[in-house]
Amino acid sequence: MASSTPATQMITLTTNDGVDMTIERQVAERSILIKNLLEDVGETGEAIPIPNVSEPVMRKVIEWCEQHKKDPPASNDDDSDSRKKSTDIDEWDQKFMQVDQEMLFEIILAANYLDIKALLDVGCKTVANMIKGKSPEEIRKTFNIQNDFTPEEEDQIRRENEWAEE
Amino acid sequence: MAGNAQPYTASRTPVNMPPMPAKDDAEATWNFLQLGVQKIMTDLKEGMDMKTYMGLYTAIHNFCTAQKAVGGGAGGFGAANNRGGAHLLGEELYNKLIDYLKSHLAGVRDQSKQHVDEALLTFYIKEWKRYTTAGMYNNHLFRYLNRHWVKREMDEGKKNIYDIYTLHLVRWKEDMFGATHKSVMDSVLRLVEKQRNGETIEHSQVKAIVDSFVSLGLDEGDSTRSTLDVYRQYFETPFLAATKKYYQEESRSFNAENSVVEYMKKAEARLDEEKERVFLYLLAEITNPLMKTCEEALIKDHSNMLRDEFQVLLDNERQEDLGRMYKLLARIPDGLDPLRTRFEAHVRKAGLAAVEKVAAEGDNLEPKVYVEALLDVHTQYQDLVNKAFNGESEFVRSLDNACREFVNRNKVCKSGSTRSPELLAKYTDTLLKKSSTKMTEEDNMEKQLSQILYKDVFQKFYSRNLAKRLVQTTSASDDAETSMISKLKEACGFEYTNKLQRMFQDMQISKDLNTAFKDWQSENLDAADQKNAVDATYNILGTGFWPLNPRLPPSRLPTPSANYIKSQGKMPYTFQVSTFQMAILLLFNDAETVTYEEMEEATKLNKENLDASLGVFLKAKVLNVSPAGAKPEKGTSYTLNYDFKNKKVKVNLNIAVKSEQKQEVEDTHKTIEEDRKLLMQSAIVRIMKSRKKMKHQQLVGETIAQIKSRFSPKIPDIKKCIDILLEKEYLERLEGDELGYLA
Repeated sequence: MASSTPATQMITLTTNDGVDMTIERQVAERSILIKNLLEDVGETGEAIPIPNVSEPVMRKVIEWCEQHKKDPPASNDDDSDSRKKSTDIDEWDQKFMQVDQEMLFEIILAANYLDIKALLDVGCKTVANMIKGKSPEEIRKTFNIQNDFTPEEEDQIRRENEWAEE
Repeated sequence: MAGNAQPYTASRTPVNMPPMPAKDDAEATWNFLQLGVQKIMTDLKEGMDMKTYMGLYTAIHNFCTAQKAVGGGAGGFGAANNRGGAHLLGEELYNKLIDYLKSHLAGVRDQSKQHVDEALLTFYIKEWKRYTTAGMYNNHLFRYLNRHWVKREMDEGKKNIYDIYTLHLVRWKEDMFGATHKSVMDSVLRLVEKQRNGETIEHSQVKAIVDSFVSLGLDEGDSTRSTLDVYRQYFETPFLAATKKYYQEESRSFNAENSVVEYMKKAEARLDEEKERVFLYLLAEITNPLMKTCEEALIKDHSNMLRDEFQVLLDNERQEDLGRMYKLLARIPDGLDPLRTRFEAHVRKAGLAAVEKVAAEGDNLEPKVYVEALLDVHTQYQDLVNKAFNGESEFVRSLDNACREFVNRNKVCKSGSTRSPELLAKYTDTLLKKSSTKMTEEDNMEKQLSQILYKDVFQKFYSRNLAKRLVQTTSASDDAETSMISKLKEACGFEYTNKLQRMFQDMQISKDLNTAFKDWQSENLDAADQKNAVDATYNILGTGFWPLNPRLPPSRLPTPSANYIKSQGKMPYTFQVSTFQMAILLLFNDAETVTYEEMEEATKLNKENLDASLGVFLKAKVLNVSPAGAKPEKGTSYTLNYDFKNKKVKVNLNIAVKSEQKQEVEDTHKTIEEDRKLLMQSAIVRIMKSRKKMKHQQLVGETIAQIKSRFSPKIPDIKKCIDILLEKEYLERLEGDELGYLA
């Protein structure tokens, strides 16, 4: 299979807006989707169409993959406790995530689609940190959400979640 | 933001694939997917292009993420979507896939019916490989479904939901395996039978079937793990049953036409073959049950026939075949016990026969001949045990039992149970005496010794002989003696050799004392006195440890005078004599001729001892008698023989006269009897002291248990001892059969 090919082998991806991007195979394989695909189909030299991601988002994703290409592969689906509980994000990733909200969500969706677990985590943690310490009203403001609860509903929810208040 | 999933434009859709379905249309999505799955399942050899692959993956992704775009509750599944958490989509696709797999497998199953035997195996393996490869492919394509919908269902503890690859295996097991495993297994068994009959077969086929059965062993509790249950039930069990049947039939027909030895060779070869078979194409886990099955069919079912042959092989000394039989029967539980019993009986018989042969000599039986006859038998069968029976400890024990039996209860011992240890002790004596050169045989002695029941008898004779060797300095070497004692210590314990060691100590102390005394003499005596002093060596021996009967000393030892010394000087001989003999010889210092009456008067010896001592002198020609040939009685006189000649300078005159020897043996036996009585009595007292009260029967039993390491006591003797103790008021009779201890 193709798994024995050197890491420097180049792979071309075609985004849904028709842009070809050529990157190292090792970088591309941060995406489990692409990794499995190369394994199953084999390396044909064909460009890989990525129908759900646009060029600007793809650039960001690839930037992240470049940075993290030497990371050890994620340990299966078994979530380690530290990863689950902590909202710590390393410095480079924090900087990387300093983008507008729209881009942040695009990155999260792309990571989910391409099956890049670590990137998906960083994205979700960033969103979590945006929520942390805010009142419901502030959160609504941050994410531009319309409050569709009736006052009674809201009251009930508050009572149910009293335990979580400080 | 979720709306960025653009529908595929026609220009990018692969030629053979329809356009991307609407993401919220389950029917359309599946129809789109089915084309791909169909290709993967039936036509993967052609390969798949990246566009199709990505198209399939994306269709599944889009379907599963469609809800957001549609909006909560707006889709057909909104009812299930309560506020608690996001509802995940995918169930329709999962069920559609199940339906697809079912119908695919139904087709495969129907086709399989056209094949039998090797063709069936080939078909089954081919389909299995194609199916599992497709399963892995699908597992990747459906990964989005696995990651979300399947994971959530499993996390919530739903039964019968598996990741996509496991789903493939489950379907195969249900829809294919269930209906075909029997005919597949039958084909496997026929193939293996062919091989057992000597044909060459394609191992890899069986191996592939084994592997596929193993893969189907899914752990119901945790689908990521596998068990061997399916393999055990559908492969191992029928395989073992067929193996058993095959070997039962084979051994039956083989035995009808071949000898037992031939059969053993065959069985041996078959067992090796089966082991090799595991290595070639079976699972290592089958080794134990397979070997057990073969052992039962090949060995256990024929163990009686094999055992019957054992005697024949023993009689003919077929060491190699005996070894073969041992190895075969060692494989089955309790296989060897009957062999050990037979072996023991055989050795006993051989030993008794050997003794019978030498026993013809009667009382004149040379210890050496006797012991060697025993040792020969022991060596012969020891060798057999080591070579054929792998030196196995149980066989060693059987050998020991047999030897103990024939050493202690053979024809020679008929006259008395103590004869065997007596002869053995005498033999040891000859070995350890200076004249003997065969020191190596000492080792064999040790072997014999451990088999002697009456160790006390051996000890008595041995210590008596040892005492003599030490006093008469006839021992070959101190090292040999010490090593013998340490061997005894090993075999019989510290208690046993305690006295023997004290004897050695006494000798050492005496040596030191003698040296000290000589030093003192040379310092304190003047030259004249030194000249007159008797050059004597003294041994100071503790009465308790030395088994020598101290003789009553004569009332008067004549004062040594120059005459005897001079005559000693003239004849450069050293006489080794007993105290009695010295008393007599010293008389000749004063006169050259001494009459019998004078001797009687001067030494005060009783007639028996005096006559015996004189007899020795006459025989050795130290003294001359006149008149010649006269009996030792009044009127006879004795003269010192100045013409005495001997090859040796040191002459041992302290030889026991024959009558004395016999006497000694009897004495020893008598002391043994006495010692035994004391031993039994002290054992009884010890037991009673700790128990206070005890039934008669029980006491006898305990006593035997305590004493049997020394000798086997007879029950009447113990009863006698109990009576003595009752008499001496150590014990009292209580009600019933009980005895009480009196402090």
